[in-house]
Order: sequence, then structure tokens, then C-alpha cells
Amino acid sequence: MAKVTREVVEKAGVNVDQLVESLVRNAAAELTTYYYYTILRANLIGLEGEGIKEIAEVARIEDRNHFEALVPRIYELGGALPRDMKEFHDISGCPPAYLPEDTTDVNKILKVLVEAERCAVRQYTNVCNLTAGKDHRTYDLALSILNEEIEHESWFSEFLGEGPSGHFMRRGESSPFVSKFLK
Amino acid sequence: MKLFSKEELATYNGKNGAPAYLAYKGKVYDVSDSFLWRNGNHQGFHMAGEDLTTSLDRAPHNEDLLERVPVVGILDDTSE
Repeated sequence: MAKVTREVVEKAGVNVDQLVESLVRNAAAELTTYYYYTILRANLIGLEGEGIKEIAEVARIEDRNHFEALVPRIYELGGALPRDMKEFHDISGCPPAYLPEDTTDVNKILKVLVEAERCAVRQYTNVCNLTAGKDHRTYDLALSILNEEIEHESWFSEFLGEGPSGHFMRRGESSPFVSKFLK
Repeated sequence: MKLFSKEELATYNGKNGAPAYLAYKGKVYDVSDSFLWRNGNHQGFHMAGEDLTTSLDRAPHNEDLLERVPVVGILDDTSE
């Protein structure tokens, strides 16, 4: 634990235990989403599915990066990951992104993907709101993750016909916002 | 539709096998089957068995998410 780090965040008026719980729940959401996206991606096949596979893969890898980036901050603030992986799964801040019953329905898979991203957008907006002007490091981390989650949401939303995403898919490097926390 | 006092609502806290109910704008919702309300705890910030009308105004989501869960009653806001 980084003692002074925790102290200054508490002094700024943040309930650190509540913040840490939120970060652990978000870390659980990222790792479980990485797992569930592995299954979704594997099922994105055929003429319709193959076109979406690439962005599902980028979102999958970036969600794993989010998990990796969150973990150090949890421990810095005096928190810890649960010892039991099953418990970790069940405290996730977002519901499981299960493969739909009809695995050939690409539209249904897209809806699962976009719902997962929307949950993540809400989660990190909340962390930003809790830490803005008070816990600069957590805010910077949450904002970086939020930037990527918003892009994921807009990619899947575009494929669902909800309107243009406004940007292009990744070219080469993944996690353009979060990579600074992974070095 | 069943009328809940605040005291009665508090017993539906999702703990020890009890159902998880919450109130919002006078309606009582059953969130027992929601993954995000396991053990009556929502994100470490909110507990079942309470009137969350003012809390939801500050939440990072809108009230439309409540449309996904059943309404089981009305909150008697004259109760203590």
C-alpha cells in the first residue's frame, strides 16, 4: 500500500474503501469480459460475423489491458483482489456477456457486446465523477479507460445501425489511451 | 398492488436469502434476479430495502434500466 497516497485521497474527501471496492468490481468486469469476449469472438463467423471479428478482438485485448492497468492502483490504495476467482467473477460491476442461445445470430452477439461496453462506460463515468479533482491518479486511469470504452461502444453501435461511430478502427497499436499505464 | 411501508421494505434487503426490493418514485421493484444486485448490494454503493429515488438521480444510468425488472408494489411514503 502507498500510505501517503491513500492518506491524501482520503483527505480530499474520497471514501477510499468504497472507491477500492468499485475498482475491484471494475477489474472483475474487465477480466470476465475478456473471457466472455473470447467466446463471442470465436463465434463471429460467416459472411456477417467475420466483419465484426476484428473489432471484437481489439475490444477483448483492450479490456484485458484495462484489468492489468487497474490492478496496481487497487493495491496502491490498500485494496486487494479476492483470493477466490469464483468470488471475483460474482462481484463484477457488469453482468456476464454470455454467448446468445442462437450462436449464429450476429445481431444478438452485437447486442451483447454493445451492452457490455455501455455498462463499462457507466462504470468509469462514475469513477471519474467520484475522483475528479480529488484523486488525480485514479481519475487519469479511469478517464483513459473510459476513452477506450466509449470507442468500443461506438464501434458496436455503428454495426447495429444506430449511427456512425465518428472514427476509424485501430491501426496497429491497441490501447492508445491506457498504454501509458502498462509500461 | 401490494402497499409497502418503509419498515417492511427494509426487510427485503437481499441478505440471507431474502428477496431484494428497492423503491423508486413510489414504486417498489424486485431486483432479486439481477446480477448487479447480488446479496442486495449494488456496486458497493447502494443497498436493497431502501428508497433510492434521490440516489438514482446521481447514478451514471437512467431510470429506464428499472423497466427490466418487475414492479411488485407501491411504497407508502407516509410510513416511518
